[in-house]
Amino acid sequence: MQPHGGPPQKITMPGVRSVIAVASGKGGVGKSTVSTNLALALAALGRRVGLLDADIYGPSIPIMMNVKETFDPNTTQWPLERYGLKLMSMGFWVAPEKAMIWRGPMVHKWLTVFLTQIPWGELDHLIIDLPPGTGDAQLTLTQTAPLSGAVIVTTPQDVSLIDARKGLEMFREVRVPVLGIVENMSYFIGADGNRYEIFRHGGGQKLAKEVNVPFLGEIPIDPKVAECGDNGDPIVHKYPDHPVSKTYLNLAVTVSEQIAKSTNDTAELPTLNL
Amino acid sequence: MAVAGLRPVALKKDGEDRLVIEWNDGHRSEYLWTHLRSNCPCAGCREERLQPPDPFRVLKPNELVPLKPVSIAPVGYYAYKIVWSDGHDSGLFTLENLRSLCQCPECRQ
Repeated sequence: MQPHGGPPQKITMPGVRSVIAVASGKGGVGKSTVSTNLALALAALGRRVGLLDADIYGPSIPIMMNVKETFDPNTTQWPLERYGLKLMSMGFWVAPEKAMIWRGPMVHKWLTVFLTQIPWGELDHLIIDLPPGTGDAQLTLTQTAPLSGAVIVTTPQDVSLIDARKGLEMFREVRVPVLGIVENMSYFIGADGNRYEIFRHGGGQKLAKEVNVPFLGEIPIDPKVAECGDNGDPIVHKYPDHPVSKTYLNLAVTVSEQIAKSTNDTAELPTLNL
Repeated sequence: MAVAGLRPVALKKDGEDRLVIEWNDGHRSEYLWTHLRSNCPCAGCREERLQPPDPFRVLKPNELVPLKPVSIAPVGYYAYKIVWSDGHDSGLFTLENLRSLCQCPECRQ
């Protein structure tokens, strides 16, 4: 499997009905956790779902999906499958202790390989877990991938909201529909049954209102989420009846509704042969 | 004037020297290809436009032949990329920028 060079070309993925980017401006807000559990929640609704880890430098999907070994790119049947999801990540090729020291063009090339040379087959949704920021990976995907929309993940506090706004503006600049904002780590339900707003609360909803995009929901912080992620069995799969899993199922329904509304915004631009 | 949701519905050639874009608000934009090249939004061309003209600059051989567009292709949902006959291809013309560069009689007023 080798990358091809050249200028960005729009990729067509005829078997994939919708491609959803999960993004944030800031790192550490739980993008990979949201991506993974959203993908599993969509699968629980009966959809055919793929999960592409676009974080080339710091892939998280292998540990979250319990893929501990690396595979030969040329002899392995891609994509891998776990818990009913089709998966691709740079972490399946490169051992976790090895650093990927690449400039932007290499990131572009390998993301293009993931999109074009992995036989994703028929999917209702391909979830793309983006790295934080507004850099090479984001540009490659917005210029070449047939994105249906983007889900912006933030935590409630201002320091995250500032960067979430930047991520959101990037998608607007490149005319990828923003499906909405998810507030992760929104609140904590203690053993006493009381609700604690550890990182403050309501910032995601406030930002959504300010920038006029849908607010997709609040996901609570819960030690079980981290425990499940680290053990390679995400909470939506391991504990489907857990209250956190239910919030993800609600999120999956809301995201599906927003995708159905966004299809008119992602028509291809007209072309001209000179 | 560029507005959100504005998008082209058709691109056409008008003779050898012009591009026509028809927009979803009914506007018909016209551009000389030379106008687009002289407003190339790439970082190199923008920097060059900021410099004072050099009266002693010696033209390169490829600057002596008429410049033509080789291809124009969409980039994502937001821009077009023009490849020129001298190989220059780094300018991405966003839809907003294209609309603001319109040379139709109405927009030139």
